[in-house]
Amino acid sequence: MFAYVVRRVLATIPVMAVVALFVFSLLYIAPGDPAAVIAGDQATPADIERIRASLGLDRPYLVRFGAWVWDIMRGDLGTSIFTNLPVSTMIAQRIEPTLSLMVVTLLLAVSVAVPMGVVAAWRQGTVIDRAVMGFAVLGFSVPVFVVGYVLAYVFALELDWLPVQGYTPFSRGFGPWIENLILPAIALGTVYIALIARITRATMLEVLQQDYIRTAKAKGVGQRAILFLHALKNAAVPIVTVIGIGIALLIGGAVVTESVFAIPGLGRLTVDAILRRDYPVIQGVVLLFSFVYVLVNLVIDLLYTLFDPRIRY
Amino acid sequence: MSAAILPPPGVNAAAAMPDILPPVKPKKGFIGFLRRNPTIAIGGFLVLSMVFVAVFAPFLFTKDPTALAPVMRTREPSAQWWFGTDMLGRDVYSRVLYGTRVSLTVGFSVAILASLAGLTIGLISGFIRVADSIIMRVMDGMMSIPPILLAIALMALTRGSVGNVILAITIAEIPRVSRLVRGVVLSLREQPYVDAAVASGTRTPMIILRHILPNTLAPLTVQATYICASAMITEAILSFIGAGTPPIIPSWGNIMAEGRALWQVKPYIVFFPAVFLSITVLAVNLLGDGLRDALDPRMAKRL
Repeated sequence: MFAYVVRRVLATIPVMAVVALFVFSLLYIAPGDPAAVIAGDQATPADIERIRASLGLDRPYLVRFGAWVWDIMRGDLGTSIFTNLPVSTMIAQRIEPTLSLMVVTLLLAVSVAVPMGVVAAWRQGTVIDRAVMGFAVLGFSVPVFVVGYVLAYVFALELDWLPVQGYTPFSRGFGPWIENLILPAIALGTVYIALIARITRATMLEVLQQDYIRTAKAKGVGQRAILFLHALKNAAVPIVTVIGIGIALLIGGAVVTESVFAIPGLGRLTVDAILRRDYPVIQGVVLLFSFVYVLVNLVIDLLYTLFDPRIRY
Repeated sequence: MSAAILPPPGVNAAAAMPDILPPVKPKKGFIGFLRRNPTIAIGGFLVLSMVFVAVFAPFLFTKDPTALAPVMRTREPSAQWWFGTDMLGRDVYSRVLYGTRVSLTVGFSVAILASLAGLTIGLISGFIRVADSIIMRVMDGMMSIPPILLAIALMALTRGSVGNVILAITIAEIPRVSRLVRGVVLSLREQPYVDAAVASGTRTPMIILRHILPNTLAPLTVQATYICASAMITEAILSFIGAGTPPIIPSWGNIMAEGRALWQVKPYIVFFPAVFLSITVLAVNLLGDGLRDALDPRMAKRL
């Protein structure tokens, strides 16, 4: 067990190294001269040279990569071209709204999607099942900002139940905080719910055909206990895996959701950085999110051993 | 020794009985195929309609999508402006119809390019052991970067153009296709008919061409439709946040980005491109689901 945990933790190091190498190399992969693109159309040759030097493009690739990795290990993600502030400081200022949005979305999505999938599998072929599957297809097709605008229009503008836009820090109390997050979380969660519900249904259909389910029925275990204790527990591994993989959808969607609902988080920071061509900020955000994604999936992998004692690597 | 083994009762009787159920004759031909796969029929019809709109956009009662008319700005939808006008007086109906071109171009191009690149990488990875471990580590790393963020980072480094959007989204989609192809190749290599081909001295290129490639086409086609759908969403997202096609091109994401400032008072500017985008993506997804069920009947019951 301990050996497995150590091996699994060590296995993430090469992945993170490749992520770092790849994110770093984007500057070199991109067609054209990135320094000229970042400097903009009105830039003088001197401006372009200054940006080239600040990105380190005037130094050899490997030297620059070594220095960059060393900086990151010390928590230095570079300096913004636009504000001259350290990127890590800018990220720290904006992380709370994004973290709040993602946690609320995750909790909402899992608590809605898993029961949806379970019921659809239990009532396979009925109207309920068809409705869940129809929702899953729609959820994959309607982009997050479209859901966001429709929700904001109906529930904020027309019905006036919830605030249209903005964010209230958690320190001002749970009520105002959650009020501002409900609509963005539903918008962001739609794709995620569709994905989890679909996998939950598929896995549950498989598990419900197993012999031990028939045995449980035969000895008179109640329907709810069969579904949620016997079946769901054995279907947990694929469901939890897809919850972890789907975090990538949440991260990408958060950037857009924050624009729609004017939430001052990391997504907003990224969008502002795009408009100002502030590449170090974008690079820092991409790197941070990718590392978070790798770590979340590491934790999930380690959790498998708790869900399923049969797993021994 | 013992009595002759008697046929089970009913076998003789069955011959004497008329068929209660006439044998099912599946309809043949293309129409029969569409009947049996309604999702392909619906999805395919909608996709073809969108292709029609894209190709014939100039002849569908549209005006110049970039013509400014400041006097006529933000008019509500009416007989003259079917979808209204935007804040610069441009006709939203014409812009949305021309936007179909951008979305379909990006979706189809990314699907084709990512499939070809993924197929090549997947085949190399599935056949060359040394390359496999390196390629798969690189793909693991690339897959750890959320695709939209990867596309955003690439777009921040290049000038906004349709070509660069296609390139950025393609790079973000390649790892998933490569993974899929590699998995299929590895499982096919274990098949007895591949062993037989190897044993009878078939060379590797011929094995790939005759035995591996044809069998990757079905899953690859299904995957390509999903990539097409997700590429259209990604393009709209990129344009919406200002990292996609240049603002002068009327893409659905750009129209929505321009309508964003006014959406509380003039929601129709955002509404119409949103509806078109959703319907197109839904159509491509339906087509993908239908193809998946038709090409791999075992999956049909499960998902």
